[in-house]
Amino acid sequence: MALLEVSGLTRHFGGVRAVTDLSFTVAEGEILGLIGPNGAGKTTAFNLIAGYLRPMAGRIVFAGRDLVGLKPHAVTKRGIARTFQIVKPFRKLDVLENVVLGAFLRRRGRREAEAEARLVLDKVGLGAKIGVPAADLTLAEQKRLEIARALATRPRLLLLDEPMGGLNPTEIDQASLLVQRLREDGITIVWVEHVLKAIMKVSHRVVVIHHGEKIADATPEAVVQDPAVIAAYLGGARDGHAAA
Amino acid sequence: MTRGLVALAIVALFAVPWLVTNTFFMHLAIMVLMWTALGAAWNLLGGFAGQVSFGHAAFLGVGAYATMIFHLKLGLAPWYGLVLGGVIGALVSLPIGFICFRLRGPYFSLATLAVAEIIRIIAINWETLTDGPVGMLITTLPELRVLGQPVDWESKTPFYVMIATIVVAVIGATWAITRLRFGAYLLAIREDPDSAEAVGIDTVRTNVTALALSAFFTALTGGFYAIYFRYIDPDAVFSIALSVEMVFIAVVGGLATAAGPLIGAVFLVTLAEVFRERFQVWHLIFYGLFMMLTIRYLPEGIWGRIGLLLGRRG
Repeated sequence: MALLEVSGLTRHFGGVRAVTDLSFTVAEGEILGLIGPNGAGKTTAFNLIAGYLRPMAGRIVFAGRDLVGLKPHAVTKRGIARTFQIVKPFRKLDVLENVVLGAFLRRRGRREAEAEARLVLDKVGLGAKIGVPAADLTLAEQKRLEIARALATRPRLLLLDEPMGGLNPTEIDQASLLVQRLREDGITIVWVEHVLKAIMKVSHRVVVIHHGEKIADATPEAVVQDPAVIAAYLGGARDGHAAA
Repeated sequence: MTRGLVALAIVALFAVPWLVTNTFFMHLAIMVLMWTALGAAWNLLGGFAGQVSFGHAAFLGVGAYATMIFHLKLGLAPWYGLVLGGVIGALVSLPIGFICFRLRGPYFSLATLAVAEIIRIIAINWETLTDGPVGMLITTLPELRVLGQPVDWESKTPFYVMIATIVVAVIGATWAITRLRFGAYLLAIREDPDSAEAVGIDTVRTNVTALALSAFFTALTGGFYAIYFRYIDPDAVFSIALSVEMVFIAVVGGLATAAGPLIGAVFLVTLAEVFRERFQVWHLIFYGLFMMLTIRYLPEGIWGRIGLLLGRRG
């Protein structure tokens, strides 16, 4: 049975059809890449699943229960954690406290939450930055911090919104390693990304969205050969860096 | 060591009435403590959760009126009314919280301003309950015996002990909150409400809880106000100036610190005493001036700066 089953998901903003009749499934332990040109509706899809937006139609079934109508915090409690495309750390709080706030969800006591946070920070490679205010980290580190904070809530499903956006090639390689390590840990991930090379290497399956609608759903190898996908990326306005 | 210092401070606090015999200084000390309690109660919501209320006089007034009404209309001794008033203040805050916290940032602050004004107008017009603009007066406080001794209501001591107890309770609650998950959650919401939701924090419920706690202590202090001055009217206890003074104390003393409000209160009461006689109406301008200077040059407040200098988190 699928861990996450999205069906007929629709959300329009005035005349903008951000997401239209989007359906896909994610199996337990799978890494699903969600790609598409700028403005395709990827982030909107995330915001719908995570409860930040209410869908106009459609169902989001997670572990057998419908999530539609739940507030974001309730979605997180059910086991879906997310990161933000534009990082949103608790800026004045230090790195450890940022992750402790995630760990507090399953552990009430500060000591237990801190122990958990330290483990997670070591895993994402921020163990040496524990006392640094989040605002003083580099963008790459802040993206890792977002992942650590999400992991600390002990999710069954992790939604990563462009964890590599804005990073340089070295940082992209490091982030790629991190996602691969998460994959080895057996965490189910839905991953939105513009850096296609990275997402193709790590994902089990890729869903392509264009103008808010799904145009492909297959293995990475099959997707890159799909004429509809090639047309979406290269046809119309050329989206140079996305095709890289 | 910190624990010893705190114990010493509490002992010193309660020793004051036996060391100070001058009635005027006792009155000043009581005013400082009353403002400390109000500033600290405001700080629970404004400092920690970052939800700036411009309408906290509403809770002060509700507490003061509840105490008066229970006493004058139902014959309940005002010290019981004071506690009941705190509970009523918290109850009144619940619907306000559930409605206003759906709004973010400045909208919440504006809503608190409006709510305070609505409650003031209700107090003026609901004459059967509040006696309207005439106000309410306690001519003599009922007899009370503590440890077999009758309490002397003509001296300042019983009032001092009462307000000192309230201050210890508010600051103690603040201190406890900074060490609990709840306190961490408030700071998280202040830093970023979206991220707070993302880590599973119910931001509306957490804010409503903080507001209720804050309203409880504000209303409790309002009850004390009624007992101490023995006279209240809507313009005295529901005025916007009171709300602004609570903000002033928390900001000048240090937002989201446990002891900051005491410093802020000393500052405010001194300022009021120095300027009120010489400048009358104009002393409010000095509040504004000091608030601007603090926000510009000392955004973490006096106690916050001391904490930074000592390398601690306040």
